[in-house]
Amino acid sequence: MKTTTAGQAPAPARHRASLAVLGTYLGLAAALLILIVLFSCLSSHFWSYSTFSTIANQIPDLMVLAVGMTFVLIIGGIDLSVGSVLALAASALSVAILSWGWGPLPAGLLGLACAALAGTVTGSITVAWRIPSFIVSLGVLEMARGAAYQLTGSRTAYIGDAYAWLADPLLWGISPAFLIALAVTVLAQLVLTRSVFGRQLIGIGTNEEAVRLAGIDPRPSKVLVFTVMGLLAGVAALFQLSRLEAADPNAGAGLELQVIAAVVIGGTSLMGGRGSVVSTFFGVLIISVLAAGLAQVGANEPTKRIITGAVIVIAVVLDTYRTRRARGRG
Amino acid sequence: MKRPCTGRWLVPALLSSLFALGPIDSALAAANPPKVALVMKSLANEFFLTMENGAKAYQQQHSGEFELVANGIKNETDTAAQIAIVEQMIASHVDALVIAPADSKALVPVIKKAADAGIKVVNIDNRLDPAVLDSKQLQVPFVGPDNQAGAFKVGEYLGQQLNAGDAVGIIEGVPTTTNAQQRTTGFRQAMDAAKMTIVSVQSGNWEMAPAQQVAAAMLSEYPDIKALLAGNDNMALGAVSAVRAAGKAGQVKVVGYDNIQAIAPMLKDGRVLATAEQYADRQAVYGIEAALKLVKGQDTGAQSGVIVTPVDLVTGKP
Repeated sequence: MKTTTAGQAPAPARHRASLAVLGTYLGLAAALLILIVLFSCLSSHFWSYSTFSTIANQIPDLMVLAVGMTFVLIIGGIDLSVGSVLALAASALSVAILSWGWGPLPAGLLGLACAALAGTVTGSITVAWRIPSFIVSLGVLEMARGAAYQLTGSRTAYIGDAYAWLADPLLWGISPAFLIALAVTVLAQLVLTRSVFGRQLIGIGTNEEAVRLAGIDPRPSKVLVFTVMGLLAGVAALFQLSRLEAADPNAGAGLELQVIAAVVIGGTSLMGGRGSVVSTFFGVLIISVLAAGLAQVGANEPTKRIITGAVIVIAVVLDTYRTRRARGRG
Repeated sequence: MKRPCTGRWLVPALLSSLFALGPIDSALAAANPPKVALVMKSLANEFFLTMENGAKAYQQQHSGEFELVANGIKNETDTAAQIAIVEQMIASHVDALVIAPADSKALVPVIKKAADAGIKVVNIDNRLDPAVLDSKQLQVPFVGPDNQAGAFKVGEYLGQQLNAGDAVGIIEGVPTTTNAQQRTTGFRQAMDAAKMTIVSVQSGNWEMAPAQQVAAAMLSEYPDIKALLAGNDNMALGAVSAVRAAGKAGQVKVVGYDNIQAIAPMLKDGRVLATAEQYADRQAVYGIEAALKLVKGQDTGAQSGVIVTPVDLVTGKP
């Protein structure tokens, strides 16, 4: 298992591990490239800068959610509530602006706080009673969705362009939202690979008992991971609002599955202890390019779902092979 | 009429026993106000919420005449949950069932069960598939707007603002629903009549973010698109966002359907050209009225099984 904790491994092992990581990135990049080439052949306008900038500006919400989910999966957890928490944050924000007359900044902070709170609740209950986060987050999914309906009276609320600056192209057609999401991704990768906290998380996911025996209390770190997940769902809500100018209490329904799919395509293990934020980013790109490409080709709804599902399954099967080979070598 | 009646009940009770020929049912109904179950699609959707609120207000105005039990499902595609609700309503012996089916075919078997249990069924919002109803020898009156005609009105108005041959895209609701299919058909007919070219028809699943994604892809693939026709206003909001992101604000016209609150500012500043108002609050009420008539054994006035409610075009211009 030392291959996963590259920082602690002796020099030759570290070398081998980084080669394996490089192989993973290359594999994912190749898959992405195949998709892009395929859609460029099938569609007349896919191969254009505007297509790619459009995709880039659509994915910041998925990107930050996937970053958070990578951490959650690494510690052996799962958070099914992210889509609902996103809707809750957007709803709270819309009520603050429309009913209470708050400005965009305090309302935005309120939305983020609600989302972080929801994440903290999931994390605390999971840790305090040692309940699988699958179940706890399923409960929070329902509660957050219900709260979102309650707050908005189940209506789509028009907010206006208070946050539009996040989505409006800044430079070369790229929005600030994408740049922020990119910064979050890079920061998260550094935390995961270069910090004590990151190594602790991998340790928790690999063998929580061992971490405890080493004299480290894993509980605060675990709660923190869920809090960050919630917070990032709030950030994703802001990104969506900035693009759509309206808060829909139905927003993000089923989004959790898309997020988990992106993370798993990137090779993060559902069993915990293994994962990479950069790979997750590739996963997000693959899912998004697939969705955009299929829409541009004009595939009908059933085809879209069948193909997307098949890509997820194939990606995970390939990942299993890769992991076995890496373990065999390590 | 041995049971004690309040004064309010005396008159209808006496009347019904006066006119009664075989009126055990109606006499009982007068003594115990009939219980009407309203089973909705997603109460999370503003449209259905409005419908439910309209029904509740109506019930309060006519509180002596019937009892109302309103139920909805979590999201519009959760057919299984809606079937379970109908089963509960059968078990609780309601007198009438007014239902907006989540699926126009899948709900038929359970509605057959309700009808067999003696429950009067009225169909609102999303019409049950006539062929499937026939195969079960069921007659369920449909009370609702003509979605196809409504979409045609919106499309017709849009067509007047475009030039013949212009490229347009249609963003459809959940493709398995009759409403989505009818609205798409209406849009198609209007576009064909105005000689527009429909370059793409894709589903936005009635929701904002998926519609935005599909609209963005259409705008990339067909840069000369002049208009996007969305099957509901949520998807129109998504389309507006995609138009803006593509830097084509003002160049691509967007129309919707339903006239929700959030669309009002967009109609005002022209980002959305038109939508259709189909008076959601009245639909459930018409459905309940028809159901009460059925319970009393009266004629509902349906023509070939349909009672049409109005749909009006709403445009941004005053």
